[in-house]
Amino acid sequence: MATQEPAQVSLPNEREIVITRTFGAPRAIVFDMWTNAEHIARWWDPSGVPLAACEIDLRPGGAFRFVHDGAGHAFTGVYREIDPPSRLVFTTPSASGAGSTGTLAFSAVGERTLLVMTIACVSKSDRDALLAMRVDAGTARTLDNLDEYLGSLAR
Amino acid sequence: MVINNTTDALSLAFAALADPTRRAILARLASGDADVSELMKPFGLSQPTISKHLKVLERAGLVAIQRDAQRRPRSLVAAPLEDIDLWLEPYRQYWETRFKRLDDYMGEVGEQSRKATSKGSTRRSKPR
Repeated sequence: MATQEPAQVSLPNEREIVITRTFGAPRAIVFDMWTNAEHIARWWDPSGVPLAACEIDLRPGGAFRFVHDGAGHAFTGVYREIDPPSRLVFTTPSASGAGSTGTLAFSAVGERTLLVMTIACVSKSDRDALLAMRVDAGTARTLDNLDEYLGSLAR
Repeated sequence: MVINNTTDALSLAFAALADPTRRAILARLASGDADVSELMKPFGLSQPTISKHLKVLERAGLVAIQRDAQRRPRSLVAAPLEDIDLWLEPYRQYWETRFKRLDDYMGEVGEQSRKATSKGSTRRSKPR
């Protein structure tokens, strides 16, 4: 695939994080990637390993659960709004227990898709806890290698 | 998470950047030093209001006062902004890594559906 612009992270105020990224596919496909369990299981884990389990009840009030491994590390939440292919809103647990809201806005840019992901926390401390989540640099390195490898296969 | 001086400095910088007027002041200073009266004009704000915003920026270490001149021009200090970048980088990288996975996966799915199409399927190619 063509090389994409890397993700950008900005902090518009004390409670929110905004992540933007463009994908080289139409938004119906990108939206499907985010809402179809079969697809999510294949790309969600940054380590490149398929999810151990992925359950999606795609309706307002329906729960989702992305399980990374046998140890039970999982990303869970509840869908609030589902408006394909442009908008997806869900709530997830947060450090304080108050929860946070994720809003995904998918915009068509020609044949490409701009994703604007806003994570709204109830407090600055909840947001900072989220930002402080550290990721093993070695994992990122490995994945860059994998990315290159897959890119070379595609050519 | 351990609270230390670095975190406190970051908190001050974040709080200072949370206001759109203060971000605009920093953007103005990025193109060159300016004193209070020069900052008042483009923003249409009173001198006390500009001074109040400048104090917050100074406390966060984002703005320094040049004392060598009568007009006391303010200048941008980039170091706290670099700290914020460093602090956000692992989080950004985490999402970028995940998005790269998504790019690659969409590439694989697209490749499969193109192959399926070329084998005689007349349907518009679409991932399963």
